[in-house]
Amino acid sequence: MKRRNFIQKSTAATAFLTLGGLSLQSFASKNSKHITILHTNDVHSHIDPFPSTDSRYANMGGVARRATLVEAIRKENPNTLLLDAGDIFQGTPYFNFYGGELEFKLMSMMKYDAATIGNHDFDNGIDGLLAQLPHAQFDFLSANYDFKNTVLNTPIKPYKIFIKDGIKIGVFGLGIELKGLVDPKMYKETIYLNPLEIAQDMSRILKDDEKCDLVICLSHLGYHYKSDKISDLALASKTKNIDLIIGGHTHTFLPKPTIVKNSAGENVLVNQVGCYGLNLGRIDFYFDSDKNLASKGKSIIV
Amino acid sequence: MKKFIISVIILTALFSCKIKPPQLIRIEGKQTAINETIAADKTFENTIKPYREKVEKEMTTVISYTPKDLYRTDGDLESSLGNLMADLCYKRANPVFNSRTGKNIDFALFNYGGIRAGISQGNITNESAFNLMPFENSLVVVELTSEKIKELVNYLIEENKAHPLSKQLNLAVTEKGYDLKINDAALDNAKNYFVLTSDYLQTGGDNMNFFKDPVTVHKLDYKVRNAIIDYFKETDTIEISLDGRFRNEKTLKN
Repeated sequence: MKRRNFIQKSTAATAFLTLGGLSLQSFASKNSKHITILHTNDVHSHIDPFPSTDSRYANMGGVARRATLVEAIRKENPNTLLLDAGDIFQGTPYFNFYGGELEFKLMSMMKYDAATIGNHDFDNGIDGLLAQLPHAQFDFLSANYDFKNTVLNTPIKPYKIFIKDGIKIGVFGLGIELKGLVDPKMYKETIYLNPLEIAQDMSRILKDDEKCDLVICLSHLGYHYKSDKISDLALASKTKNIDLIIGGHTHTFLPKPTIVKNSAGENVLVNQVGCYGLNLGRIDFYFDSDKNLASKGKSIIV
Repeated sequence: MKKFIISVIILTALFSCKIKPPQLIRIEGKQTAINETIAADKTFENTIKPYREKVEKEMTTVISYTPKDLYRTDGDLESSLGNLMADLCYKRANPVFNSRTGKNIDFALFNYGGIRAGISQGNITNESAFNLMPFENSLVVVELTSEKIKELVNYLIEENKAHPLSKQLNLAVTEKGYDLKINDAALDNAKNYFVLTSDYLQTGGDNMNFFKDPVTVHKLDYKVRNAIIDYFKETDTIEISLDGRFRNEKTLKN
């Protein structure tokens, strides 16, 4: 890495000498910034890898392996955020026996930065979720669940702004409609607000008011539905100022992130990495202050 | 001197760039499969270890015994495992329902697809119960009109599957149609019936639409898996057999 930097710099110096003017490449390397977003969704208490006898996912997954990978990526780029799109709970006896304690502890050790709430995270009720929150050293974000009449009002925030290498990253959370999906006695007086309207508000707040360089939506709405039920793809097309939607709920395995045109005609990335911690998603954002480079627009390589 | 000039140019360039906001120029996306090529982090392994050991110990705890294999496929329209599941849920749920309402459940119905694993001859462990019922479904009692009971029966005959039914229901498919007895009595058109099932099926799972708009729904706050575990714990040796509670008399005659 260092060596490559050095080569770029010396090339730049040569360019100055030979051309005697400003080269585009020259300060591109100096003024460029690199943010890495890592993400999971629907891990469903899968702490251990699947056994070798599993018919579909033999020897795949495992939190301790994910930790190794995340650590390696952080070494490569310290300006990394690690996010989860919900349904951390439910799926193995670890959850039945410990109620999510181990899931949160391991995610904290791995330095997750934020997660949103999936429908299964209500499986032990909002009180069950609250009871495990002391084990979570990361933030839970949800902008469209109104918890004001519940015990989760204080601990859960609509959004959070992270600053990495001077880049302002706004992350907000969205949850799926709980009625019909979760027993009302579990979510109690949680009020579900229209995700599309909330996303429009959130992206305006984060982009226009907070001047974020990057806006990320952590969604547990689901990738796509045949019906007109709100999904990540629909949300992406009907909003603006969102750069990335990290999804969950539908356990969708994508060969690569989907590019969707938003309401302003700009590209939005929608990604989801299946379930059970089988994959780690990664999106790299490269910034540059060079006017000439920036004027060329952004390229997306997926 | 040349070096100095270059430095000045670079510095000036840097400062002039600093004031401009950074623009997003490139996005790259990819994903990495988590598999055996990635070594497990030791610190994480050590954190997980005590939890795993306790879970394994708990899961291998013997809670009952079966002298024979129990499967969902050992009968035609019934099965040993289906009969066991429906009967044990009835047995565990009826006292709860009775204490709350003063009424009794008439019979239990679950779905064939909901039996997720068989139980082999020998010791039954907590793990057997988790494998049999990995979902978090809870027991509900649904009050149905006799008309809905007829829909339920037609569904069973149409499906022609060994959906788990408790022994209070006796249904024979005959040349003329069917012969139905609930608690040894014919269907009473003036009566409502209380049927035990899971919240999943009550809300339309497996197209059991007759459960969808019932007269009343009573939630028992009792998970199906917990009912199974509780029954195993109180039962030393499982005794269950095929008893023809749902049978096709047309095929028997042939």
